[in-house]
Amino acid sequence: MSAHEHEHEHDHPHAEITAEPAGYYEIMETAVRELLAEKGLIGPAEIRRQIEVLDSRTPALGAKVVARAWVDSGFRARLLADGRAGCEELGISFYDDTQLIVLENTQEVHNLIVCTLCSCYPRPVLGLPPDWYKEKPYRARAVIEPRAVLAEFGTTIPDDVEIRVSDSTAMVRYLVLPRRPDGTEGWSEEALAALVTRDAMIGVVPATLPETVQ
Amino acid sequence: MSVTSAAGTFEGVVWALNEAPAFAPGEAVRILTRTPIGHYRVPTYLRGKSGTVESVIEPAGLDNEQEGFGRNAGSKRHYYRIAIPLTEIWPDYVGSPRDGLRIEVFETWLERI
Amino acid sequence: MTDSAHLIAKLPNDIGGAEAGPIVMAEHTLLPWEKRCHALADVLDFKKIINTEEKRRGVEALGATVIGNLSYYERWIVAFGNILFQKGIITPEELARKMDEVEARHARAGGA
Repeated sequence: MSAHEHEHEHDHPHAEITAEPAGYYEIMETAVRELLAEKGLIGPAEIRRQIEVLDSRTPALGAKVVARAWVDSGFRARLLADGRAGCEELGISFYDDTQLIVLENTQEVHNLIVCTLCSCYPRPVLGLPPDWYKEKPYRARAVIEPRAVLAEFGTTIPDDVEIRVSDSTAMVRYLVLPRRPDGTEGWSEEALAALVTRDAMIGVVPATLPETVQ
Repeated sequence: MSVTSAAGTFEGVVWALNEAPAFAPGEAVRILTRTPIGHYRVPTYLRGKSGTVESVIEPAGLDNEQEGFGRNAGSKRHYYRIAIPLTEIWPDYVGSPRDGLRIEVFETWLERI
Repeated sequence: MTDSAHLIAKLPNDIGGAEAGPIVMAEHTLLPWEKRCHALADVLDFKKIINTEEKRRGVEALGATVIGNLSYYERWIVAFGNILFQKGIITPEELARKMDEVEARHARAGGA
């Protein structure tokens, strides 16, 4: 059996031709893209290339940045001074031409990221945002009742800790640098990175030890 | 007067109007209350609210109210990270009085107070 | 403010502080066409055919009802069509004909 035949044997979420008939908007997307290609304005290879770029960006990149900041104070200082340059130091490119501010959580301050106007998100370093980040409840409420929003994620921040909500508007993106969990002294960078979730880098949860270790 | 740049300080060089940021970190500012048509990126929930300049975002950015209409070489504007207490934004805010918001705002939407 | 001014003074996506229900934590993996649409948006921005801010403006211009009823990438592709018409890059007729062609191609592929 060829690899191609095998690909169509199981439910393959990325296959272009699926059992479902193409919907109105899907047809529109194909039509717009093909018209632009026929006019020589974009090339099919450029779209494929950008899909590869999107696929290459996942929260694992951000976790690597956070873990490095936890173990290397010099890197941490450079990252906090210029988030984009810090990520670029680790080989993470900023294809969307945005700046990055890294927000450090401390004993005194807990940072939370939202984009009330649309869905600004540090895509080069975290990949695409989750649905809830793009939908109304989170966007509307994070700036008016952040503690209630955090509670919905199971996160309780003591009253003596300041909540700092950053609302992205256009050119600047944010990444939360969570607090390093207690009990991780001497851990490898790789083991530390495994503790850092996407949601911790948005600021809706802390970075925690797995329950089996606690 | 002198101008400081990445290349150094040059005696006798004077900045033009709007070339240097109008506001400095620590200054108190208010977000304007205007309600224009067109395109903007200043949320209405912050109109008329007072805060403090936390930092100047460098370099100055393309004015997104022009960029939104395809002017890719539109005016550059100074851009600031502003700190605003949540109790200033929402008088009935439930939470710590120290809780705050941070947002980047173009100079065209700020006034000194 | 007059009775009708609020319809204009606040863009549909300007929702910070608005009344809203609980956060629904469900997530979905992008459909293939949604991912292509995202890549298209990025390429259009890189080439400044439609920059990201024009895309945001184009989505706002759809109005609250459309924004409230279309999915995220459905809003994007309709905004792209409108902006490309405004810029004279494609015409509504070209898009209509191309959509017919794409639909016929899909129908043949589905019936094969």
